[in-house]
Amino acid sequence: MSEAPDTPVLRARGLRKEYGKGEGLIRAVDGVDLDVVAGETVAIMGPSGCGKSTLLHLFGGLDRPSGGELLLNDRRIDNLSEKALARMRRTDVSYVFQSFHLMDELTAVENVELPALLAGRSPRAARRRAEQLLDQLGLAGRARFLPSALSGGQRQRVAVARALSNEPLVVLADEPTGNLDSAATLDVLRLFEELHEYGQTLVIVTHDARIAATADRMFSMRDGALVDETRLTGGTTGKLGALVGLED
Amino acid sequence: MGRILLVLRLALRDLRRRRTEAALLLIAILAATMTLTLGLVVRDAASDPYESTRAATKGPDVVAGTGGFADLADLEKLATASGVTEHSGPYPVIAGKIEASGRMSDVQVEGRDTAIASVDQPELTQGSWVSDGGVVIEAAFASSLDVSVTDSVMLGGRSFKVVGLAVTAAMPPYPGTSCIVSVGCVHGAIPTDLNLPPGFLHNPGLVWLTQADVRSLAPAQGSMSYVINLKLADPDEAEAFVDANSGDHGGTMMPMQTWQSILADATELARDSQILLLIGAWLLGLLAVASLSVLVGGRMADQTRRVGLLKAVGGTPGLVAAVLLAEYLLVAVVAAAAGLAIGALTAPLLTESSAGLVGSAGTPSLTWSKVALVTAVALGVAVVATAVPAVRGARFSTISALADAARPPRRTGWLVALSTRLPVPLLLALRVAARRPRRVVLGVVSIAVTVGGIYVLLVLNTFLSEQSGLRAYSEAQVTVLRHVLLVWTVILLSLAAVNAIVVTWATVLDNRHASALARALGATPLEVSAAMAAAQVLPALLGAVLGVFPGGYLLFAAIITITDGDSNKATLPGPWQLITLILATVLAVATLTAVPAHLGGRRPVTEAL
Amino acid sequence: MQQEVILAMLAKEASHGYELRARLRDALGPLGEAMNAGQVYVTLTRLEKAGLLAVERSADDADRSDRKVYTLTPNGQQRVTEWIAEVSWPKPDLAEFHLKLIAAASAGLADPLTIVDTQRRELLRRLRDAQRAAMAEPSRSNAALLLEGIVLRLQADLRWLEACEKNWTHRRRIS
Ligand SMILES: Nc1ncnc2c1ncn2[C@@H]1O[C@H](COP(=O)(O)OP(=O)(O)O)[C@@H](O)[C@H]1O
Ligand SMILES: [Mg+2]
Repeated sequence: MSEAPDTPVLRARGLRKEYGKGEGLIRAVDGVDLDVVAGETVAIMGPSGCGKSTLLHLFGGLDRPSGGELLLNDRRIDNLSEKALARMRRTDVSYVFQSFHLMDELTAVENVELPALLAGRSPRAARRRAEQLLDQLGLAGRARFLPSALSGGQRQRVAVARALSNEPLVVLADEPTGNLDSAATLDVLRLFEELHEYGQTLVIVTHDARIAATADRMFSMRDGALVDETRLTGGTTGKLGALVGLED
Repeated sequence: MGRILLVLRLALRDLRRRRTEAALLLIAILAATMTLTLGLVVRDAASDPYESTRAATKGPDVVAGTGGFADLADLEKLATASGVTEHSGPYPVIAGKIEASGRMSDVQVEGRDTAIASVDQPELTQGSWVSDGGVVIEAAFASSLDVSVTDSVMLGGRSFKVVGLAVTAAMPPYPGTSCIVSVGCVHGAIPTDLNLPPGFLHNPGLVWLTQADVRSLAPAQGSMSYVINLKLADPDEAEAFVDANSGDHGGTMMPMQTWQSILADATELARDSQILLLIGAWLLGLLAVASLSVLVGGRMADQTRRVGLLKAVGGTPGLVAAVLLAEYLLVAVVAAAAGLAIGALTAPLLTESSAGLVGSAGTPSLTWSKVALVTAVALGVAVVATAVPAVRGARFSTISALADAARPPRRTGWLVALSTRLPVPLLLALRVAARRPRRVVLGVVSIAVTVGGIYVLLVLNTFLSEQSGLRAYSEAQVTVLRHVLLVWTVILLSLAAVNAIVVTWATVLDNRHASALARALGATPLEVSAAMAAAQVLPALLGAVLGVFPGGYLLFAAIITITDGDSNKATLPGPWQLITLILATVLAVATLTAVPAHLGGRRPVTEAL
Repeated sequence: MQQEVILAMLAKEASHGYELRARLRDALGPLGEAMNAGQVYVTLTRLEKAGLLAVERSADDADRSDRKVYTLTPNGQQRVTEWIAEVSWPKPDLAEFHLKLIAAASAGLADPLTIVDTQRRELLRRLRDAQRAAMAEPSRSNAALLLEGIVLRLQADLRWLEACEKNWTHRRRIS
């Protein structure tokens, strides 16, 4: 994170994505403007079907916008070739999915090292980095386990480790706790907090208010557009005790 | 009634939902049934036609000739010998030369009555029977001369009009024609250093004229010989009859041929084609089984879930089995019908050119028993494919059947570890292969069978090229065998191609999710497509090598054993030929798999995730 | 803090005032920090007067209330038993906010949607604080469980705000 703190890592201007045409036209993303500054955590909340996943796919170069501009580190990425997008996904952005999307036949550590191998790192360096990440995420003892032998929260932490494998500029997470129970959600929340403190830029799409509440900024999304921004840094007005009836 | 409709509707719905798979399954069963049909039809072609020709032409049980030694009186005595019930002739025969389509050939000319004979009345395949100035040509000879009815030919310096073409059971068809002239004949190719006695006939054909025309052509009475056709009370006694009657005629035996020996000569060539075809049928069968296993195996896993769904909404095990069975039966019946039709239509390609040779009056037909056998095989496949998921579905609880999504991929740890050292496409390819070891084995086997087959074809082809200059086969025979080899090759290659596409497509479908994930993690579409293709090409390389050795080697040895051949006569392909064969196989597989792999790699990532 | 809670915390054994406070702190975690010590003693004195608690004075320092040892009287025992069996539940006061929106809209005092947005921000901040506190606790501790309760209630409230927003957006579109 060598950029000046207010240089946007990710910048969207009038971003649009449409599906179908004529009568059946769906504006999944409809004119989104957004700047994500290095080191901040941005949450996007909204009801299901409002276009959150589509927006994140655009950010991650998994899909191409129908219109508007998208810049990653001041470089236009909305008009890149499929191959250049793949390169970008290797090093600049990475993804955490709701359903983990780990490869079932690979062990935790093999899953984590995969992006590094795809990016052409040496097998040894990739393995070392993967083991170090799993260690940091408290999964050192599970490195040789297959995903089927891991709990949901552990699987998602492996997926996060995989996303960090190539030290991306931005980590994009699509409903990362959508398939997790309350305790496992807390695990992942802690992990995001740590990443945040470490200075990792994060964009999280969710309809879990708890995730959103840990962000620096939260956007509400409706019908493909960001309609409200909430800055969450700064103190609260009330005391926690009042919330459980200990104080007035 | 309502239940049957429901079962049919569910079966059709599922077939329509997965059209590509249904189509591939159809093609695989079709290929298997077609091959089987061809094999069965051609098997009959080897023995049946002579029998039918013999019946149609009132074929003789014994043919006796004067040759150069006996005289007419000896033949006439035979007509009244004990055991003879009917006879025709003796007919005069002369040696001559025929000029047709600008080519000269040696010929034996037999003089016949215009009236219908009670023994050996050649069956006309075209035109009419002999008349003065009109010649009838033996069918196989005619096709070799490339003449037909209304053409003119030169015989002994005179022009004759071709009035008919006919087949006979009194001698093997051209070029196996037996020698009935006094000067003697030579068959096969003649080494250049061999000096034939003057007047010897080389590969003579057979034509019929009226007796008057023959006599007028004869240069001298002495050069004329005679044949007589005899019908015995007991055809099985033909051998004994010959032994008893050939007698001593100035130190030599009277030349006589039994119908059994004519049959053996007539079908010799067909038997060679039949062995080729049967071995081809075996290879094709193996290939068909390989592709069926991939398809049916993949579908069976899918079906387990469907069984769970059907049971969850209240389907009894019986209904579930009925739906599955109906689905495969629909495909199997359509495939069997198409396979039978195509097999029956293409069989003449193999048998027609040899039809004249065999002396057949027509192509052997598709009998009900053959239809039943082929259909039974197709239905057998359907039943086997149904039985496993139906039984499993009945045994499993509904919940576990529902939970059993797709077959979980295998983990082959050492392959995963090995792959980390390779470039990205190979890394992905190796992992794709490691997920489905059984499919890889089938792919290897399928390519090995194909390449083994091609190896044998190469050997046979060289063998035939060398033979055309030697005695064993005449040029026409070589042409026929080449033709058989060609058909064989075309079917073998088509089925192998279908197989390669089936396996690749199954792999692409199976890896849709893993590929999309690899791309989300930064693999380019090209790398993913290359990985899919490489996952087929690597096993293909292994298969090709195994197909050459030991595959082709063993197969050739098997053929030699079955045909009692002499393997020393054959030249095995040289190392360069083999390397070219292996490379060509790998290249062909790469090309065939490129399209499905490319299509698979182009799908949008977000769709599969 | 309800009197019955204090009574029940003493049901296990006779305790000093400071022991009682330690027990409460342990059960409440960071929320216990904010607890007013004086209020606990006020409650204790009230209970004593009501005859639900008896005091065994400690020998040395008779006057200091946190040196007193409290124990339940039979009446107190009875009261605790009744309280345990009760099914009362804290009532969220949603009607107030609901009426606020209606009043603001009908009198044109403010845009109900702005009120919803402001309220949401407030709730999100609380949620974040509760969340942070929860994450700081070792999992499965008493305090973590209580904090999870707060988080879940706030989530429910936020969901209701979402419903309010939808509803008021819809009303505005119609009018
Ligand atoms: N491939 C697609 N084709 C057509 N419509 C799509 C496609 N993907 C998403 N949509 C539509 O776009 C809208 C936004 O979808 P999505 O981004 O998945 O919403 P969210 O993630 O917020 O639930 C939805 O109405 C959805 O139906
Ligand atoms: Mg979504």
